[in-house]
Amino acid sequence: MEKICAEGLTFFGKTNRLISHELKNILAIISETLGLQDELMELSESGMGLTPERLRSMSDSIIEEVERANTVIRCMNTFAHSVDEFVREVDLNEAVSLAIQLVKLNPFSKTVKIEFLETGSRAIYTSPFFLEALLYHAIHFALSAAAADKHIKVSLLADSDGAGVEISGIAPNGFEAFPTKQTALLTKAVGAEISFDMSHGKFHFVLPQKITGTPAEALLVKQ
Amino acid sequence: MEEILKMKLLLVDDEEKFVSRLAERLELRGFEADWSTTSEDALAKVSAEKYDIAVLDVKMPTMSGIDLKNRIEKMAPGIKFIFVTGHGSEQDYDTVCREAVCCIIKPFKIEALVEKIEQALNI
Repeated sequence: MEKICAEGLTFFGKTNRLISHELKNILAIISETLGLQDELMELSESGMGLTPERLRSMSDSIIEEVERANTVIRCMNTFAHSVDEFVREVDLNEAVSLAIQLVKLNPFSKTVKIEFLETGSRAIYTSPFFLEALLYHAIHFALSAAAADKHIKVSLLADSDGAGVEISGIAPNGFEAFPTKQTALLTKAVGAEISFDMSHGKFHFVLPQKITGTPAEALLVKQ
Repeated sequence: MEEILKMKLLLVDDEEKFVSRLAERLELRGFEADWSTTSEDALAKVSAEKYDIAVLDVKMPTMSGIDLKNRIEKMAPGIKFIFVTGHGSEQDYDTVCREAVCCIIKPFKIEALVEKIEQALNI
């Protein structure tokens, strides 16, 4: 039980570091762009060319970075709210979308394409925080073990297969390190069952419709 | 200051807008500054040109700034390094600064980077 709590705290800290790092990158771009704009405008007062197009391009760039920062902060806010209620109804599409956004904050994720094949809404009653942690680690693993085409696909299981998530695009020898310590612990925490198909480079986990009787639920303080 | 302006810089960061604009601002100050957004391109540049200082981002997609530093050092012994990091904790700063004499945290004022360049060249 303590390991699950510790893993939760580690995940929370890591996610905040990723968000902080991304926001610092964005601030650095805005800072350099404004500094350059300022310096070029000074030069233009001495007759050296600063075209309106260049000025507009830099202004557009700042707007883009502000929007990028806003997206990151929205993501941070959604993640922060995942601990408002320890267990509640969770939309799997939303949970997967958030996990993908968080994984994409890792620099190495830029080298791999992540495609989320969204389907109809599917809800389960679970711990949003631990589910998020599981999805994050599962997708992170997939990116690190991606096959040569560097294309990971994430989708929800068909209704007939139960509530769950499938991730494909793993290299054949990628499963040597699977499940990771975090994935194994978090799978157990939310009462999921995980299975993998090495020959097709994919794995999936089936989630219980309700988290009743799982280690994560046991962490709830009884009223 | 005149001596410093003869130095050739290589800036490496995966954020193109950041690194290209930083290079341009350094050029406005009289430095000669090339830039790369990938470690592969940076290594290609180092093999083709002689640089005095490499300013490296710590966290990049395919190779860390520290690993890139080690590769560059083998190709160009004597080159000085400055690390740029987006991490703000004291621990992260200490970790990175063990690998390079100079490091600086984003976002920074360009004057602070120029000071770091002077510091790196005086070691």
